[in-house]
Amino acid sequence: MEPADEHDTPAEVDATFRTQRRIAVGHFLVFVGVTVAVPTLTLVLDWWSAGRLLGGFSPNFLMTALGLYAFFFLLALAAATLATAVEARMLGQPSESFSDEADEGP
Amino acid sequence: MNAGGLVVLVALLGLVTAAAFAVRPRGASTIDFYLAGQRVGVVTNACAICGDYFSAASFLGVAAAVYASGLDGVWYATGFAAGFVPVLLFVAAPLRRFGEFSIPDFLGRRLGSERVRLAAVGVVQVVILSYLVPQAVGGGITWQLLVGWGLAGLSPYATGILLSTTVITALVAFGGMRGTTWTQAAQFLFLLAALLWLAAVAWGTGFSYPQAVGELADQPLHHPVTVDGGMRLQVEPSRLEADQPARFGEPGARYGRLGQFALVATLMMGTAGLPHVMNRYFTSPTGTAARMTTVWVLGLAGVFYALAVMLGTAARALIPDAVAGRPWLEELTVDGVLRVPEHALLVLGRLHGAAPGLGFVATGALLAVMSTIAGLLLASAASWGHDVYERHVNPMATQAQAVRAGRVAVVVAAAVSAALALAIQPEALSALFPSIVATMVTWAFALAGSALTPVLLLSIWWRDMTGAGAVAGMLVGAVTAVAMVAAGGALGQGDMAPLLMTPTLVAAPLAALTAVVVSRRTDVRVDADEVWLRLHGTAADRQAERLARLTILGVRDQTVLGRRPWNGR
Repeated sequence: MEPADEHDTPAEVDATFRTQRRIAVGHFLVFVGVTVAVPTLTLVLDWWSAGRLLGGFSPNFLMTALGLYAFFFLLALAAATLATAVEARMLGQPSESFSDEADEGP
Repeated sequence: MNAGGLVVLVALLGLVTAAAFAVRPRGASTIDFYLAGQRVGVVTNACAICGDYFSAASFLGVAAAVYASGLDGVWYATGFAAGFVPVLLFVAAPLRRFGEFSIPDFLGRRLGSERVRLAAVGVVQVVILSYLVPQAVGGGITWQLLVGWGLAGLSPYATGILLSTTVITALVAFGGMRGTTWTQAAQFLFLLAALLWLAAVAWGTGFSYPQAVGELADQPLHHPVTVDGGMRLQVEPSRLEADQPARFGEPGARYGRLGQFALVATLMMGTAGLPHVMNRYFTSPTGTAARMTTVWVLGLAGVFYALAVMLGTAARALIPDAVAGRPWLEELTVDGVLRVPEHALLVLGRLHGAAPGLGFVATGALLAVMSTIAGLLLASAASWGHDVYERHVNPMATQAQAVRAGRVAVVVAAAVSAALALAIQPEALSALFPSIVATMVTWAFALAGSALTPVLLLSIWWRDMTGAGAVAGMLVGAVTAVAMVAAGGALGQGDMAPLLMTPTLVAAPLAALTAVVVSRRTDVRVDADEVWLRLHGTAADRQAERLARLTILGVRDQTVLGRRPWNGR
């Protein structure tokens, strides 16, 4: 196949789009939930601001100043890996009819 | 005057100019000038995006906000970093796959509407100007402290603004996106090196981060205010507990119960609408590369902001005890507290490395200013030159004419931003905002997140979005954001002010709702399916990857053939 022949069908793209949307929205909800939880805990849990960890950090400060960055990176890595794998699996594969014909053999 | 620092600065600027010259676009094509030929690798682009994004607000402003407001200031850094998660999840790959030159170009072509393109150009230019002004202010502040004198009768602050803006304008007009990519990547590495050096020397002199946070946590926060012509410290009242002072380790110095949520939402939504950052995604070779670039950006941003927050804390802990016996520091402080919080990192640099240390950090600050100004000017050039000049003013323009129009746009945008920055006096505003630079950048995020991001997201993820819906959404988002920020500014120190000045939580849903309602009442473009294939299909990515593989194989074959003794050419 020549490079110019690369193409996707509307049905394939639509199915991929729906899967990608699920992945993006799912990861976004986790992202918002964890990010919002950090200031919310300040309002409902005294220990979150007053407790001391690792010699002086409050859990709130530790999470805001360090923990959230690690969380963002890991979440992004997981989402990107999954999204790329989904695209590789759902798009750009030889069509089923072509594969079937090839498998049947003479 | 800090001669050592000035020498370091001039030497580094010379290096940057040489780099821009070496990698300048050879042809006069617009795709080279605006998009660096769309061949920028993942790590290079991630570093360039960081150089673009980590402005004076990130380098000077985050440390200043932490210095002035403690935990509430830390949320600036968190919000700045968090903004790239929605970019990765919703924007990066589809935006690149659809291609084009700029956000207005993307919206115009996606929705098949020149009206959308022109409306987006208007919003983009206001966002760019809002972002450019605080960068120029950062340049002025840094020059004021690094050099302390002005040229041609100007104040040091004005000289810093004019010099930093002029130098970077020349570099951008000359180097275009290709030159800017490499200089921005190098500038980011320099910023990171400056923060790592400061962290290392602070640790080396016995600074303990957990211990400093523990000791500062319960201390009341103060800020300098002008009283009867002199300056004295005033206790910062808590916005969460009545009649209590705000404390470094607790929320309340800057925001009430909803304030932090509003700030994070504003920064989170704003990133996806920042024209200079989003334009960089068009330089990636594929959508997948754009996505992985964002993962790298988040990793680098985490390291950068964690260091900036730590150094803001270090400044709060170390400066009060360092004032005695240092007349230069006495001039900058009131009873051990800095008059201008943005001086925090610069003062740490001088405390730990004397004049060369100050020069090193100040060079980082100026590079942060200049790399962001470069990205903003390029984004401005792309939208004026490509979206207005090429499409509406002179549709028959040659490539050289279009590039020239972009260069003129660069100069005009730079001149306007410098003029506005000259009208601002940072010391007069330091009592009102935790960091004037970070606060002003937040206004740009507010406008971008309220007017552009909702329309961008709907255009990518909702097939029935229409041009009329996009225009209505952008207008409602922009007007709501500007009105709320203006109302917040008018209220000054009231409890509602911080909430109003971070308006995205209200303005973005309103913009999205308007866009949906109007789109429902207007016709969807007829070739929506074709547009969908470009946005969410990977055929173009696969083709680009296949061509790259073939090119590599061709080069390898030629190399092998060239080595064979029987290859008689």
